[in-house]
Amino acid sequence: MDYAVRVTGITKRFGNHKAVADLSFEVPPGVIYGVLGPNGAGKSTTLRMVNDIIAPDEGEIRLLGGLHAGREAAAHVGFLPEERGLYPKMRVAEMIAFMGELRGMPARDAARAAAGWLERLGLGEWTRNKVQDLSKGMQQKVQFAATMIHEPELVILDEPWSGLDPINADVLREVVRDQTRSGRTVLFSTHLMEQAEQICDQICIIARGKKVLDGKLADIKRAAAEEGLVALGFVDDAARARAEAGPLADAAIVAGTRPPRPGDTADLEVELAGGADPGRLLAALVEAGVAVRRFERVTPTLHQIFVDRVGVENATMAARDAGEAA
Amino acid sequence: MSGARPTGAPTPRPRRGLPDWLVIARRELLERVRTWWFVAVTLLGPILMVALIVVPAVLASTTGKEGVRIRIVDHTGQLGAPLSTVMAKIGWKAEIVDVDTPEVTLLHAIRDDQIDGFLTIPASVLAEAPAARGSVIYQGDNATNQIVVLTLNQLVNQAVLTVRFEDLVAPERLAAMITPVGFSPRHTTGETSGTSGGAVFIVGYAVMMLLYLAIALYAVNVMRSVVQEKSNRVVEIMVAAAKPRALMMGKILGVGAVGLVQIAVWVGMALVTMTYKAEILGVFGIHAGGWSLPPMGLDVVAVVLSYFVLGYFFYAALFAAIGAMVSSEQEAQQAQTPVMMLLIVPMMCITLVSNDPRGGAAEVLTMIPFSSPILMPMRYVLDGASGAGVVVSLAILAASTWVVAWLAGRIYRVGILLYGKRPSLRELGRWIKYG
Repeated sequence: MDYAVRVTGITKRFGNHKAVADLSFEVPPGVIYGVLGPNGAGKSTTLRMVNDIIAPDEGEIRLLGGLHAGREAAAHVGFLPEERGLYPKMRVAEMIAFMGELRGMPARDAARAAAGWLERLGLGEWTRNKVQDLSKGMQQKVQFAATMIHEPELVILDEPWSGLDPINADVLREVVRDQTRSGRTVLFSTHLMEQAEQICDQICIIARGKKVLDGKLADIKRAAAEEGLVALGFVDDAARARAEAGPLADAAIVAGTRPPRPGDTADLEVELAGGADPGRLLAALVEAGVAVRRFERVTPTLHQIFVDRVGVENATMAARDAGEAA
Repeated sequence: MSGARPTGAPTPRPRRGLPDWLVIARRELLERVRTWWFVAVTLLGPILMVALIVVPAVLASTTGKEGVRIRIVDHTGQLGAPLSTVMAKIGWKAEIVDVDTPEVTLLHAIRDDQIDGFLTIPASVLAEAPAARGSVIYQGDNATNQIVVLTLNQLVNQAVLTVRFEDLVAPERLAAMITPVGFSPRHTTGETSGTSGGAVFIVGYAVMMLLYLAIALYAVNVMRSVVQEKSNRVVEIMVAAAKPRALMMGKILGVGAVGLVQIAVWVGMALVTMTYKAEILGVFGIHAGGWSLPPMGLDVVAVVLSYFVLGYFFYAALFAAIGAMVSSEQEAQQAQTPVMMLLIVPMMCITLVSNDPRGGAAEVLTMIPFSSPILMPMRYVLDGASGAGVVVSLAILAASTWVVAWLAGRIYRVGILLYGKRPSLRELGRWIKYG
């Protein structure tokens, strides 16, 4: 199998609004792949097309080396939609087994697998309860079991962290990693860059329905780091004032400054001017007699890369459209 | 990155379990059949239906029989006495009042519930020439009661006859002569042997009610279940695992199967009841063999089942589309009105069929797909329809069901994934076109 998902030039219009425009990306087998973007960027629409819930107006989607999305791939794919829902009056074990049967499992296998999943998720005592008797967190787990019961080779999760508390978010991250350990592929969407950064092997950032950037997360971060970002810490306010009056105002070296990332001990972060060497900044600071406490080349966070590439304006514009195209 | 796989051609895993629509239908069936509500309705339903027919009949017959209190204003001076005598015999309380009693006094008596009504007999009633007679007027709070009115009509006419003939015929002979003969209608079309007209009507009416209730109940149930799936968002995981068409078909089949189970139980109960009718009535202390239902042939059962199945599919598809179009149950209540009307209009046309089962109106109503499922079985029971007529009507119904299901499927496909504003007719057209 060359790929788990291959999306080629897909476009989806809703009325006059283009929710997804000529989008292509490829998910290799066995990786954790994140589709990232602000609200309304077209993430859910894309994942829905990958699941053949809606059909693209143009373009092609193939799964697991060549299967058509939909009926042909149904038994191999598990999908957790953004909007969660279960049959409230069904017994927990039956609910999970039902989803397994819907994906093509024989009844007996589905019942056995459902019992196994409930044990694994610590819901063994709740098997015979109705779904509506469970807490919200427990229902999330049931939903996840219903997505995974037929052991799909490709797991697709739409905003899996939305509505999870930090502990359950950690649990989910572990489960996702587990999936790839057994050779499965996980494709998910999120607007939470912190979650994506912790778990993704590869990413695709989209905004307003278009691809902005894709590739291996490590490569993207390395490339971003080379664009030059330095965290600066000063000994005192006087040192800072001297720096701001001198070297930091030099447009040949410094393109701009911004506040440090939360929790960082730096006083500010400096974006170097194009082609400028960090050594030149350090030399300029020493020359100006600035007492520096910290000088460090930093890798931008995924969030920073995201904001840089998508643009604040784009992100907010898209958020405003979220309602119509979510 | 762990566990990258060897490349190779994909092999679609064959589906080893049941087809998706069947899994869905089974879930719908089990979820409903397992509730205590289903058990209660299935077991108590026939009892309620019988009560619905029997209780009003019993009430109506008792109010006619128990003493009607009446005053007679007799301008002839001859009719009052014999009338009050025969009325006393059937347990009525009749009182002859002075001819000068103002009408207001009598009306007040009715208002104060001292009497039920009063009879005004003009002097001209006994005139020989029919045109000169005028008519006897009854005013009362029970003038709508058919039994009271028919009884009064009969008694007054008998009294008039008695007075007219009393000089010519000896009173004992006269009494015997004017006693009406028995009259009993037998229903026949010339092809079938006559059975009791009333009994045939009751069976026809019961069949019609059964179909109306079953179709309305279960088709609306399909709609509500679609709306619920939308509003609690289960539909999101469902559409990922199955095609909307399978979802709709599974749901309609599952809910329909519930209806069939219920009807099977009811028919079984009806057969047992009819077989052991005497014993069951005996338990209630009634020893009557009087009424007997005409035998229900297998052909009737086949007709009822065919129309239930097709009629249910027809309406269930319509209601499923409505369910897919709306986002909440309140909205569904409004949106279902047009389809509900289609179901109710045939109900209002019952008499067009029952009064003249072989007439043109009955013919038309039992061919139109909206009304044929409800009215045709009744018409068939009343011997108004030929076998060929039933086949044509079923063919029309089947063809329109196919069309409706196809259209509904398109609306359903688009609708279940959309929330918010209800679509306009133009948007619906677009859904059907591109769905």
